[in-house]
Amino acid sequence: MWRRAAAWAAALAVGAALGLASAWAALAFTRGGGAETYGPWSHNRHAGSVAADPYTRAVIAREGLLALSAREALYFNLAEDESGRALDESCIYELSAPRLAARWWSVTLYGADDFLVQNTDHAPSIDASRALTNASGGWRARISPVRGDAANWLSSRNAGRGFTLMLRIYNPEQRFRRSEETLPALTTVSCAGRA
Amino acid sequence: MSGTAKYVWAALLVAVIVHLALVHAVPRVMMNTAIERIGGESFNTWRPAPRVTAESRSIPRPSPDFAYFACAYDLGDGPISIRVAPWPSYWSLSLYAANSDNFFVVDDRETDFDARVTLIRAGTRPPEDAPNLVESPSRRGIALIRRLAPDVASHAAANETARGDICAPMAPPA
Repeated sequence: MWRRAAAWAAALAVGAALGLASAWAALAFTRGGGAETYGPWSHNRHAGSVAADPYTRAVIAREGLLALSAREALYFNLAEDESGRALDESCIYELSAPRLAARWWSVTLYGADDFLVQNTDHAPSIDASRALTNASGGWRARISPVRGDAANWLSSRNAGRGFTLMLRIYNPEQRFRRSEETLPALTTVSCAGRA
Repeated sequence: MSGTAKYVWAALLVAVIVHLALVHAVPRVMMNTAIERIGGESFNTWRPAPRVTAESRSIPRPSPDFAYFACAYDLGDGPISIRVAPWPSYWSLSLYAANSDNFFVVDDRETDFDARVTLIRAGTRPPEDAPNLVESPSRRGIALIRRLAPDVASHAAANETARGDICAPMAPPA
């Protein structure tokens, strides 16, 4: 009898551990909701929505609690360069964007812990109200530890490896389309220690 | 069923139940933590959030370009009146249920001046003559105002404007 009770207890313990581990893995490896990708950007159109499935709701709650639904704002996440490598402070990147068909937009750099990076550069974000744009409304921004001569700059100083970018699109115009062409493109300019 | 198979099936069943329960619980636990933190000892009142900086660690992925004002609401004692004072740039009022769903949002382009909402619990009788009824799926939740304020000066101005915001229990009929 004791052997049978021990077997049941072990089965329940293993089941609970499996459930815990699989739930953790499902949420930990699904960055940004992960439902759709446009080039390097991931996006979930159900973020904040009452129609969100339980996984989307859990991932969004963990990464960006109090997100707005797509009716008001669209969120896009970028975690890897054009070669699929995690973004790294030792590299210099450039974001190049056409005019974004929206009332307001911003790009914010977050550390691997999903909070602003601890530095004193006061450059965690660029936004439509302050970015320097070209005549057609397009813009370029440098992502690097040092500003140099960049017109628009996101500081990656102290960001280490695994930082991310979040693009917010507020009140997108009717003609705004989610596509790789309408979103900023990321280019790796150079990396310290890489040929 | 063989002796071992029943233990394997039991473990799998428990794994599925625990998995689904945890996924279901995560947004509710995080929202409850946020509601308690914002509400503190007094619910149904606006609280300005400090300007988002590298030191901010309360909500993941905050935007440093907004001034945030949050009201943890509790509809246990009846409807709540919400008013958002106008702001010259983008602003919005969004309402979040206890499961983190953004069930309502209104922004400056959708109002002539300010925003006024009467928030009631879904399924309860609405008060008479209450403007702009909105039903909350849960008893508790969070109302959040975003005002575009990307620099120190505009953030301070947003805090001044917020003096005209209201999040309070609806006055009983005279």
